[in-house]
Amino acid sequence: MSPEQFLDFAIAVALGLLSLAMLLVTWRIMRGPSLPDRILALDMLVNIGIGYIVIVAIKTGFMLYLDIAISLGLIGFLATIAFARFVLQRWRIRTTNHSQPNNPEGEG
Amino acid sequence: MIFFIMTATLALIWTAISGSFSLANLLLGAIIGLIAMWVIRERVSHPGLSKRLLKIVSLALLFLYELLISSIRVAILVLSPRLDKRLQPGIIAFPLTAKSDEEITLLANLITLTPGTLSVDVSEDRKFIYVHAIAVPDREALIADIANGFERKIIEVFE
Amino acid sequence: MTALMSYIAGVLVLIGAVFTLIAAIGILRLPDLYTRMHAASKAGTLGAGLLMVSLAFYAFDASVVLRAMAGVLFLLLTAPVSAHLLARAAYTAGYKPAEITSINELDPKAKSND
Repeated sequence: MSPEQFLDFAIAVALGLLSLAMLLVTWRIMRGPSLPDRILALDMLVNIGIGYIVIVAIKTGFMLYLDIAISLGLIGFLATIAFARFVLQRWRIRTTNHSQPNNPEGEG
Repeated sequence: MIFFIMTATLALIWTAISGSFSLANLLLGAIIGLIAMWVIRERVSHPGLSKRLLKIVSLALLFLYELLISSIRVAILVLSPRLDKRLQPGIIAFPLTAKSDEEITLLANLITLTPGTLSVDVSEDRKFIYVHAIAVPDREALIADIANGFERKIIEVFE
Repeated sequence: MTALMSYIAGVLVLIGAVFTLIAAIGILRLPDLYTRMHAASKAGTLGAGLLMVSLAFYAFDASVVLRAMAGVLFLLLTAPVSAHLLARAAYTAGYKPAEITSINELDPKAKSND
């Protein structure tokens, strides 16, 4: 196999694998069962998106995509931090409003 | 000395990223590098940074190696057919020898990216870091592993 | 030289994609949030990082290599921070680990025994 053919083959296979990964993670986002599970799956989805963009950069030879991938990583990081703070805030508001034992299982 | 090495490195990085190796561009990079170094001068003028550089590199290499090992272990675990039998998750308290904020932060981050462990919380008095491990067959062995590996290296880098 | 670089880039693309897929499978199969986090923060980071490194090998140009290195460094710095923050928030908010968790020294009852 010539190098170009091999690279094309690798890119095709990798895109397939990433699509499968995206489907599995989407399934986890839909099923939950809790809010942090969904946040974690969304974080993973951002990682897969970075992978997609980088592979497209190799496929098209358009290196500007790398900057886009890095900024997507930054946005994903900030989003996860914001979500984590949201989980904490929501818990604080709940525990101050109703002082009953906290049981978040199976919701969110 | 370290000041000039850093400025030269920053200038080279500037020319590499902006994509032209002309003399004017190199000078511009050097000026920006000087300004950047001047802004953080108190951090850099700390003595012995050049000696620690070697230890920092060795820590980074150890870390990359551990990241690879841990990913392979997670992969084997995830792909094994009878998952429930092999999982023994647990949260253990790891007694900290490291004291300063920087050391604890670095240790917590490295713990998260290494085999089977994930830092969850640091106790109020900063004596313990709570580590979630994916398989805890032996609590003492796990603690000894972290203490002799990363924590010692981190303390070496910071002292 | 470029042929060799293409081969290296191709192999790295494949390995990176496989690790990303493994992280996704882990997120689906593991029993609770904390064990899932292991899969996402390790295999996921390594997968995306390897893909960026493969781009560096493919282009083999100073500006792209440096940017790819910066991107990998950024991923390695942010992934544990977000995982740690999410784990702490979830634990504080009362999302309990799965039943099979053997030791839990963060539990108040266990802590009082120390």
